[in-house]
Amino acid sequence: MRGALSGLRVIDSTTMVAMPTAMHIMADMGAEVIKVETHTLFRTEAARLMYADNVPGDQPWNRDGAFNTVQRSKLGLTLNLKIKEGVEAFKDLVRVSDVVVENNRAGTMERLGLGYEELKKIKPDLIYLSNTGFGHTGPWSSYAGIGRMFELTCGLSNFTGYIDEGPRRVGKAFFDLHVGWTAVFAILAALHYRQRTGIGQWIDFAMYQVGVSTMGDVILDFIANGRNGSVMGNRHPYMAPHGVYPCKGNDRWIAIAVENDKQWLALSKIIGQQDWTNRIEFTSMDSRWRNQDELDHYISKWTKSLSDVVLMKILQGQGVPAASVMNSRDILTDPHMRARGFYEMIKHAPETGMGSKLYYGRPWKMSKTPSYVRSPAPKLGEHNELILGDLLGRTANQIADLYELGVAGISPTNPSMYKPPTYEEQLNDGTLEGYDENFNEILGSESND
Amino acid sequence: MIESALGSFRILDLSSYIAGPYCAKMLADYGADVIKIEPTGTGDVSRQIGPFLNDEPHIEKSLLYFYLNCNKRGISLNLETDDGRNMFLDLIKTSDALIESFPPGYLRDLGLGYKELQKCNPGLVMASITPFGQTGPYRDYAGNDLVYYAMSGMMYASGAYDREPLKHGHPQSYYMGGMIAAYTISAALFARSWSEEGQYIDLSLQECMAAHHHEGATRYAYTGTIERRAPKIGSGSTKGIGFEGIVPAKDGFIGPTTQKGRPAVSFVEYAELLGRTDIVDPKFETRELRNQNALELDDVLLPILKSWGKLDYFNTMMSEGFVAGVVQTPEDLIRCVQLQARNFYTKASHPIIGEIKIPGEMFRLPECPWAFRLPAPLLGQHNQDIYGKEMGYTDAQLDLFKGLHVI
Repeated sequence: MRGALSGLRVIDSTTMVAMPTAMHIMADMGAEVIKVETHTLFRTEAARLMYADNVPGDQPWNRDGAFNTVQRSKLGLTLNLKIKEGVEAFKDLVRVSDVVVENNRAGTMERLGLGYEELKKIKPDLIYLSNTGFGHTGPWSSYAGIGRMFELTCGLSNFTGYIDEGPRRVGKAFFDLHVGWTAVFAILAALHYRQRTGIGQWIDFAMYQVGVSTMGDVILDFIANGRNGSVMGNRHPYMAPHGVYPCKGNDRWIAIAVENDKQWLALSKIIGQQDWTNRIEFTSMDSRWRNQDELDHYISKWTKSLSDVVLMKILQGQGVPAASVMNSRDILTDPHMRARGFYEMIKHAPETGMGSKLYYGRPWKMSKTPSYVRSPAPKLGEHNELILGDLLGRTANQIADLYELGVAGISPTNPSMYKPPTYEEQLNDGTLEGYDENFNEILGSESND
Repeated sequence: MIESALGSFRILDLSSYIAGPYCAKMLADYGADVIKIEPTGTGDVSRQIGPFLNDEPHIEKSLLYFYLNCNKRGISLNLETDDGRNMFLDLIKTSDALIESFPPGYLRDLGLGYKELQKCNPGLVMASITPFGQTGPYRDYAGNDLVYYAMSGMMYASGAYDREPLKHGHPQSYYMGGMIAAYTISAALFARSWSEEGQYIDLSLQECMAAHHHEGATRYAYTGTIERRAPKIGSGSTKGIGFEGIVPAKDGFIGPTTQKGRPAVSFVEYAELLGRTDIVDPKFETRELRNQNALELDDVLLPILKSWGKLDYFNTMMSEGFVAGVVQTPEDLIRCVQLQARNFYTKASHPIIGEIKIPGEMFRLPECPWAFRLPAPLLGQHNQDIYGKEMGYTDAQLDLFKGLHVI
C-alpha cells in the first residue's frame, strides 16, 4: 500500500543504531531505502547476544536481532567504497535518489569522493544528511560520537541515578533513538523546502545538540536561578508518592505517580484508610513530598503482598497513574500492545532458518497512509542484482566483475567469530532475569531450526 | 528574506504540558506559523510548573513554558462555549495541521472530532498525543512519564541488580513523544502533496517508550531471554569498562572506556594517556580479561580517575580517539566550548522574563536556517492580531467574547 513517503528513494550509508533507525522509519513509511554496506566489515557491530534462537548458524550475519530490527523494510546492496568501481556505482545510485544519509566521522565521505559538494554536481537538488557526534565544526568536531555517551555528555546523567549513589545509566544508548527520530524530522523539513523551491542542501547533524535540546528547562533553571540539580532516583520535583514499589513475586514492581490530591484520596481509599493515610504529614502534595521517605516506606509495606498487574488495574480503575514495571516478556504479551498490534510478525526467507519473528512497530498510526514492516531486513547483498542491474543498468558481466573486484559480495570477508554465551553463562553472569525455552510458542512465532 | 523550511504551513497547537508543545516548537523553529491555543484564564498547565524565573510561581514566569513555546503566537479560547467552538472551526479552515493532547474522545464529544474538522478542511492533518492511544484496553488509563518508563521494558532493565528499577531524572518520554509527533506530522503533510487530503495520527506516549526499548523486545523475540538490571558482580562501575560505568572524577563524574575505534586497542595506550604506565598488566590486556578482572581493575583505576578533572579527562581521551563521556551539569552545558562554537545558544527577549539565553538551533538547514523569531507568548497575547486583524472580528465582538470568557 502506498505510504506517506512512497516515491522517495533514500541511500542509507549508515551503521550502528541511530541512523539505521531513522532509515527504517522512512522505509516503513514507504520510501525506497537502499542500505549500502560493505561485506568487508563486521555487519553485526551492534550485535548484543541475540542471534535467532541463540544460534549463530551458517550465516550469523543474517541472524542478528539488533541488526534485523533496524534494517527491516530496506533493500540491501553491498559496495566497497574503498574501490573506485564501488564509488562509481554509489554515484550512479545518487543520480536517481532523493536523499543520502551517512554517519562516518567528519571528512571520511570527502576522502572517498562522496562528500556533498561532489555529489551535488551530479544531483543538484540532493538532500544529504551527515550525522556525527558533535557536528563538523567546533573544537570537538573530531571526537567520536558514540551513542551511549550522550546520556552523560548531554547532561541527563546529572539527574539520573539512585539518590544515595550518584549517576547511573538508564537504557542502553539512550539518545540514539531520539537522534534517529530527529533525523527523520530534519530530512522531511528539507524535503518540504525542496518541494517548494527545488533546492537541496547538506545537513550538518550533531547528536550532541539533539540531546541538549531536551534539557532546556534545567538549563534555564541554571541561568535564571543558579541551580544545577542532582540525581533524582525515581522521584519527581513536586509529586509524591512518585516511585517504584515491590510487589508479590520474583522481582515484580509497581510504579505509582500521584499528580494531585484527588488521586491521593483515590489511592488512600484503595489502601483502605489505615491510620497512616490520614496523618497530617500526608494531607497535601507539599507535605507528602517533604515526608516521602516515610510515605514510600508505608506504601512499600502495602504493595509487597499484592500482584503488580492486579494492583495496576485497580489503581487505574480509580484514576491513579500506576503501572506494572514490565519486563520484555510482559510487554510483548501485554493485552493492550496486542490489541493495538504494536508488534508485527515477520516471516524470514526459508534459507535463513529463522522462521518468523516479532518486531516492534511504530508508536503511531496514520489513518490514510499506513506504515508497516514492508520486508524483513535484507540478507547481505540480497538486492545487488536488482539495484545494480535493473536500476543502474549494469549488465550481468559487469556485475560479475564487481564481485570479482571485491566491490560487491554476499558473504563477509571478515565474519565475526563471536559465540554468544549460553543461557546458563548469561544467568550466572547476572545479566538475565531468566529465559523461556518455549518463547516461540509464547509469542506465536515459529522457528525453522 | 530567506524562506524557511516549513514556512508555508499554519499549525494549531491545542496541546498542553511538554510532548505536544515540544512537537509544535520543532515545527515553529523550522518556520511554520504555529498558533498556540490555550484555555482562557489558566493557560497551558506548564505555566503552573517550574522552574520559574527567580523561583517565583507566576503564569508568565515558567521557564518550562517559555522554552517550549518560543517562536509561536498565542491566543486564548474556551472550547466549551458555542462561540469558542465556532471561532475554532474558523481557525481550522485556514490551518494545515492540529496538535492536541486531550483524553481520547474529549474533542469528539464537543463536536470537534477529526471527522467534523475534516468537513471544514479536507486537507487537515490532526495528531492526537495521548498516554495510551485512541484504542485498546488501556486507552483511558492515566499516564505520565513514570508510567511510560515502567510500561516499556526500559525501566525494568535499568538500575542495580538488587535494587528497584530506575528511570531518568528528567521526563524524557515527553520530549521523545514530541519529536516523534513532529516527524509524523511532517510526513503526513508531505503525503498531502500527492494524496491531496489530510489524515489523522493516533500517537501513544507509552508506545514511544516501548519503541525506544525495542532492543529488549527483540532480544526476547529472538532468544527468549529476559534482561535484568546491571550485572550483580562488582559495583557495576568499571565492570565491562567498555560499556557501563559512570565513576567519580575530581570535580564530578566521567564515563571512562578503553574503546578506541574498532576493534579496541591495547590497554598500554590507555595507560600511557593516563600517564600511568605502571598499571599495565597482562590481566587487563583485552576487553575479555578486563571483564574477568573487573574488581581488580576497579581497585587500580578508580583512584587514578578520581584525580582527573572531568573535562580534562574527557578532552584528553576524546582528542586521542578514545571513547569517553563526561557528566555535564547545566552550568557545564552553558559554558560548553563546542556549543558556543556552533552558536547553539541564542538570546531571547521576553516582556516579563527579560533577556535570557536559550538553547536554539538544533540542526542547521543552510538554505533555510533555524531562526529565533518570537519569545513564548503571554497568555492571549495575539488575540487581537489573530481574531481581529486576521479573522475580522470587531473590537466590540472581541470585548463581548472576553466578557463571556470565550477568549
